[in-house]
Amino acid sequence: MHAITAESLTKVYRDFVNRKLSVVALKDISLEVEQGQIFGLLGPNGAGKTTFIKILLGLVRPTAGRAMMLGVPLPSVGIRERIGYLPENHRYPGYLTAVQVMRFFGGLSKMKRAEILPRSASLLSLVGLDQWKEMKVKRYSKGMMQRLGLAQALINDPDLLFLDEPTDGVDPLGRKEIRDILMRLRNEGKTIFLNSHLLSEVELICDRVAILDKGKLLTVGTVAEMTVSDTNYEIGVVEPPPESFHHEAAATVLKFRVDKNILSADVRDVAALNHLIDLLRKHGVSITHVVKKRSTLEDSFLRLLNQEVGA
Amino acid sequence: MRILTLLLATFRELFSKATLYILLGISTIVLLGTLLAFSSDLTDDGIILKVFGVPVSPPTQAAEIEPMVYGMQAGLAKGLFLGIMLFGVFATASVIPDALEKGTVDLYLSKPLARWELLLGKYVGSVAVIGLATAYFIGGVWLTFGARVGVWNVQFLLSAVTMTFMFGAIFSIVLLLGVVFRNAAVPIIGCFLYLMVIDNLLENRQTVLYLISESSLYRALCDAFYYLLPQIAGMQRQLENQIMQRTVEWRSFIQPLLSSALMFGAASLILERKDL
Repeated sequence: MHAITAESLTKVYRDFVNRKLSVVALKDISLEVEQGQIFGLLGPNGAGKTTFIKILLGLVRPTAGRAMMLGVPLPSVGIRERIGYLPENHRYPGYLTAVQVMRFFGGLSKMKRAEILPRSASLLSLVGLDQWKEMKVKRYSKGMMQRLGLAQALINDPDLLFLDEPTDGVDPLGRKEIRDILMRLRNEGKTIFLNSHLLSEVELICDRVAILDKGKLLTVGTVAEMTVSDTNYEIGVVEPPPESFHHEAAATVLKFRVDKNILSADVRDVAALNHLIDLLRKHGVSITHVVKKRSTLEDSFLRLLNQEVGA
Repeated sequence: MRILTLLLATFRELFSKATLYILLGISTIVLLGTLLAFSSDLTDDGIILKVFGVPVSPPTQAAEIEPMVYGMQAGLAKGLFLGIMLFGVFATASVIPDALEKGTVDLYLSKPLARWELLLGKYVGSVAVIGLATAYFIGGVWLTFGARVGVWNVQFLLSAVTMTFMFGAIFSIVLLLGVVFRNAAVPIIGCFLYLMVIDNLLENRQTVLYLISESSLYRALCDAFYYLLPQIAGMQRQLENQIMQRTVEWRSFIQPLLSSALMFGAASLILERKDL
């Protein structure tokens, strides 16, 4: 059973007065998220990431398509007992303390008072708000609000956790703490669905990633699959190639750089790579290794978006 | 349990705002005024009722003084009813739009809570808070009259329940307008207009509104609004009857009850179909 299954989800925000102003927020999105994974949904602003989550949570009605969460067809109010959600720009009543916020959302989650109190205490301690728990949340900083938001999302011990920009406004140390919490939750078998602009962070913790742009799903895969490059190679050499090699190689490869005993080359295809290796041998250079280089997730993300713009 | 959680949260929300304290403050001032204003003297010829120390009745037997006090209480309730209702609307109009604000409604509805349950919790919470404020005021006036004049009109005390019911009917309009417009200004303006103008116009539609046009469609529309919206003026008359210990036509409360249910149903349906 998948944690999330989306089949051809489409959402059009219609403008009934001026049809030209209608916005296609999601176009035919089909996606599956395995249980026990951290899944990252990436995309520029307005890509449809939040709309996708809101459809799953029943906040937005899809124009077409269907979805399931934890095997339950949506929309379903009952399934939300097993869901946690930290929305972007969440607002908590400023007149409540963190403890009161936790009690309130615990109550809405159908939890018993006897369960809520110890769970609140342990979660507020987990997110580092222990000493601030009796302070009114209107005095909280953005980072503290995010921590409280995470604790709130975990109050009902959810099987599936949706986090929309969870580290927004959190300092680097706090971000590391949140990453550690998320990885611990994954190790406990929880599924985490993460929306984030911080690609370096997504790269660090996500098992699988999907990229969304203008409502279209561009790609889905593991971070390793996304960051591997078919055109970028690292060639280890015993000694740097002679100057004559540089002239000949310039005509063959798109781009190359020699740094001591490492030659980084950007080639068109495998044939070009082989030609480059032949050239090195021709110039009497001994090769120690040839490996595909990985790009960063950010590079892959930008490359995909540029391809989409080009298309 | 979830409705109770929302009810308590609405209590906290409303008690965190200055408007409710202003309402309670005004009520306290009026109570103190009542306490100072009304008194009675027991003489050999009977009881003399005094307002600010000035006798307003000749010496009267206890049985005869009661209707006079009922009349005073009814007048007081009638005069302050509109104030309580308008202040109540003013204090609670932001409850629904605040709950539906982005970043807040997402949090509510990510929990196992149906949209109509959210509205019901907020509705019951708001009406309960105004009910408490009304009970404080009416209870205080009742105690004052009892202690100072010796007339313990239980029906006056129970009129707090009737007034709370009436506020519930008015708040159903606040709820509907709050869901449709998602701000506090439209419900406040709408309810003020309804309480002060529209309700009376609809009540007297045959003698006032029908004069504007003879179109049957127009008149049918006037009738439709009259029957669909809660008839506050009718309930006000019954409130007076209740305090005066006259026969109360409880049928007058059925239409507002059905109308409130209709308003609540419409608000729930509209919210159910909205993308949040």
